[in-house]
Amino acid sequence: MTHAVKFHPGLMLLEQYVEGTLSADVALAVSAHIDLCPHCQQLNNDITNDQAAVLTEQQVSGRNDEQEWNQMLDFITNQPVLAASVITDTKAAPVASVTVNGKTFQIPRALARLAENQNKWLHLGGIATAKLPTAEKQHVSLLYIDKGTEVPNHTHLGLEMTLVLAGRIVDENGEYGVGDLLINSPEDTHTPRTLADEDCLCLSVLSAPLKFKKGLTRLLNPLQQFFY
Amino acid sequence: MLETTVLKRHHDALPKQKRISQRMTINSENETRTGQWEDALTLVALNQDKAAYAELFRYFAPRLRAFGIKMFGNEQQAMEMVQDAMLNVWRKARLFDASRGCASTWIFTIARNVRFDMLRKKQSRKDDISADDLWFDGDYPEQESNSSDHWDTMLMSEKLAPHFDALPPAQRMVMQKVYLEEKSHQEVSDELAIPLGTVKSRIRLALDRLRGALDDTRS
Repeated sequence: MTHAVKFHPGLMLLEQYVEGTLSADVALAVSAHIDLCPHCQQLNNDITNDQAAVLTEQQVSGRNDEQEWNQMLDFITNQPVLAASVITDTKAAPVASVTVNGKTFQIPRALARLAENQNKWLHLGGIATAKLPTAEKQHVSLLYIDKGTEVPNHTHLGLEMTLVLAGRIVDENGEYGVGDLLINSPEDTHTPRTLADEDCLCLSVLSAPLKFKKGLTRLLNPLQQFFY
Repeated sequence: MLETTVLKRHHDALPKQKRISQRMTINSENETRTGQWEDALTLVALNQDKAAYAELFRYFAPRLRAFGIKMFGNEQQAMEMVQDAMLNVWRKARLFDASRGCASTWIFTIARNVRFDMLRKKQSRKDDISADDLWFDGDYPEQESNSSDHWDTMLMSEKLAPHFDALPPAQRMVMQKVYLEEKSHQEVSDELAIPLGTVKSRIRLALDRLRGALDDTRS
């Protein structure tokens, strides 16, 4: 029985995802969510159909540019087409997995290629992170939290997106299972933790460093280097 | 413009529940009634048919250019995108599968992906997130149809009328034809010259939005 996904990106993010106007790191979290969420797979299809129809419905003025178009058309139709043999069956999503803390987890299609080149796991207490290779200024990582572990209370300077890939995590606002996407803005402070009997693997996308808030953990602010 | 009074006009015509169930069901009876663009793409795929491709090109290239100019804000990059996207259409026509969607959707996603990768390449990082990571070109396992297609009774209630106006125009148009003019999905598809699948998509999106609007007013 799969977990019914409860926390979705919402129509606005999905529309921008389909348009291709989200920043790549945020789009990656949305894409991985879609891989895990049948409801958003349907929405994604519907929005794509809708936007494609908008594209074709638009009126285009008949500019006097026949020659330019003809040149392009000639150029294209003189190019070789893809040989039938290189066209592989793309219909099935590739299955990929990562191993951490002696356990192997399946990860969504969207992360398969990047996870192959992930950095090595850095461990700290019950927490481990591995950065995925993306452009500078982007902080996309896998985050593993062993069972019965609390992530120090923190706030964000920017947007934090957390997608649960396996297991379960809870914070002040609720309980999140596979496919649930948590979006925390700079105003949100939260203390995510795992339950005593279940660990958790997440995708974490941070648009700015975390700041740890409480008492002693302030001393741990260097921690943010670990997460970020 | 949709008004409460307009909605009411139809109330006596048929028992409400019956009429709704006729209009509401967005079944996936697999109608593979393909249109001219799907046929043209198939010809390109099978025979590398240049005449069929030229037809596609003359229709889609100027539209992609307009889309590109909107996205890039300049003609040069827009044309670069058009050429790359239309070249992909030519080279990869074999990958098009009419049973999975219409030609315009396929072409739109190709252009979107080309555009995304063009923007990323400027920042020139090799092991970066690419369009292939973000947009899955394949099928997810079939899902049992969920209840979202059948939430229905709320739909005709007067409470919804004010929210119709907040729908995006394209979705409102489809909803108006289906629910007020009581046209079939196929009739709407023919009238607006959009694929049947798009009619269904727009209905589902509009329903999703209306449901969201209702939830907001309730809470």
